[in-house]
Amino acid sequence: MKSVMNLAADLKTAIGIGETTGPIGEQVLSSQGRLAALVVAGVLAVFAPVAQAFEPFWLNILTRMLVFALLALSLDFVFGYAGLLSFGHAAMFGAGGYAAALAIREVTTNALVVLPASMLVGVAVAAFIGWFSVRAKGIYFAMLTLAFAQMFYVIVFTDLPATVLDVETITGGDDGLFGIPLYEAIGIDFTSRLLYFYLTLVLVLVSFAVLVRVANSPFGRTMQGIRENEERMQFIGYDVQRYKLLAFSISGGFAGLAGGLYVPFQSVAQPGLLHWTISGELVVMLLLGGMGTLWGPMLGGALVIYLEERLAGFATWEIILGSVFVVVVIFAPRGLAGTLISIKNDPRNTITHVKQALRNYVEKVRG
Amino acid sequence: MIESLLRATLLGLQLGMTLALVAAGLTLIFGMMDVINFAHGALYMFGAYFGLLVGESLGSFWLALLLAPLIVGLIGAAIEILSLRPLYGRNPLYHILLTFGIAIMVQGIVVQIWGSQSRRIPAPDLLTGSVSFGPVTYPVYWLFVLVLSTVLIGTIWIAIERSDLGILMRASAHDTEMVDALGVDVKKVFTGVFVFGSVLAAVAGVLLGASRSVHPGMGFGVIIEAFVIVVIGGLGSFKGAIYAALLIGLVIAYGALIAPALTDLFIFTLMAAVLIVKPSGLFGATEAA
Repeated sequence: MKSVMNLAADLKTAIGIGETTGPIGEQVLSSQGRLAALVVAGVLAVFAPVAQAFEPFWLNILTRMLVFALLALSLDFVFGYAGLLSFGHAAMFGAGGYAAALAIREVTTNALVVLPASMLVGVAVAAFIGWFSVRAKGIYFAMLTLAFAQMFYVIVFTDLPATVLDVETITGGDDGLFGIPLYEAIGIDFTSRLLYFYLTLVLVLVSFAVLVRVANSPFGRTMQGIRENEERMQFIGYDVQRYKLLAFSISGGFAGLAGGLYVPFQSVAQPGLLHWTISGELVVMLLLGGMGTLWGPMLGGALVIYLEERLAGFATWEIILGSVFVVVVIFAPRGLAGTLISIKNDPRNTITHVKQALRNYVEKVRG
Repeated sequence: MIESLLRATLLGLQLGMTLALVAAGLTLIFGMMDVINFAHGALYMFGAYFGLLVGESLGSFWLALLLAPLIVGLIGAAIEILSLRPLYGRNPLYHILLTFGIAIMVQGIVVQIWGSQSRRIPAPDLLTGSVSFGPVTYPVYWLFVLVLSTVLIGTIWIAIERSDLGILMRASAHDTEMVDALGVDVKKVFTGVFVFGSVLAAVAGVLLGASRSVHPGMGFGVIIEAFVIVVIGGLGSFKGAIYAALLIGLVIAYGALIAPALTDLFIFTLMAAVLIVKPSGLFGATEAA
């Protein structure tokens, strides 16, 4: 557990506890928000052993929720925060996952080696896709990333590398790679589900802290500027394409990390990880949570996974999940984050707001 | 060799024309309302399933081909009025969340009502068997699909170019506010276009439902092909969507001759290449904005 403690200490310095912060309006996350994030993490950390004792199934869901929170976070960093509408994040997620699967099988189960490798592969894939795509803007960027991600999907699905290199199998094709064991690192055996949960929790927290830090840095401000007015930033003298490529690659690294955490946990890497429906679902998580806030999408990701898991028992789960999306988008336009903020700022008028939203809806439908 | 090439060409044209029916609605809806309609594949799927319902209960393929698109048109109207209308004027990204939600709902509804096994709409006796052109034998049904969808697409094309309604549609797409100011109820035009797109998608659903299989995954399967077509043709361009649909149909058919497993790779490479060289697509009016 020593490394976990160390990481927690690093984390405190990383998110700047005890530092003076600038005006709250400019920060991605206020100091209150940071505290809330730590409290949520603390509650999860305490809750996990309880869940493990009573209902191990909960630990499973929680870990998956965390992984998708991380994935949604990585997407929001470019999508909501930098305005790069990536519709191909499944490629980096899947690439990271497959990298982990292959590394664990062929080289080592040491998390300290495999997880950075997953991140690097995520960065490399993002850099490749981004290099071709960053010149396109808006919806065209989205479509380019979609096209490239689907290419990666087909390559993995048909096991093209094995055909080209004339070996029996590399990606395992349609079936994927089975029986991927869990990690171990510096003497800790993460084959315990509880420890694996803690590993995930700590890495998600660190990633969150790092990305919030980057978002609040001069680099983050520049990305915000590019989102708001790309041409202007170009005229001022910023190399806009390079900034976009860099942001996209950073995001890809975290998506790769999510893949590296997900595959050993599920013990299988299959082509579905790279399919466009994952990218689409991610965008849904983002909009559901409230894009551009970094923490909102994490909630959105966790919520979608939670709903999918909990509703899986119902025959009508797709209808319920779909209705949730429809209702949120119509009545809570700024997503969960927006709703939470408005409730926090003005708790008394919540009912009035709901009434108003309903009235607006009826008015608009009538035209 | 010539034989299989000819056969592939016919097959590609037929597939392209039916995909054009799906893509035409998608591109018109995007061009007019800036809506990226993920539910379009769901409407196509509804078309196939209602075709199945009508075909099996009334025993007539022709009635299915007539009634299913009408039912789906009504569903399309409900979707547009109840869920899209409140969102106009907001960031188009939210349409993704909305239509994705609707697509998932429709998939769930289909599984609930019809189950998840694969089915097929029975083709009429009139259209069974095959005809031969020189060395090539070709199923009558596929030929029928080719002719019908070509006639439909041709008619719509002329209507959009020549008729008053077509002019109104193009004008609304070009400058919504101006058309509104001229006293036209643009909201009705929007609903009309959405319903029209739904009907076309449903026709394609019935037509392909009798040659491909009808299953709950077909909506999400077709939507990505339709997107590729719309993007290659140029977002919002009707003409572009038709040419791109034929191109994609042929790529799929020829690709199946060379390397069946890799046709998708060809398609997405083509899409990426077009976007890199000309982001606005083959017939896109404006540069990327």
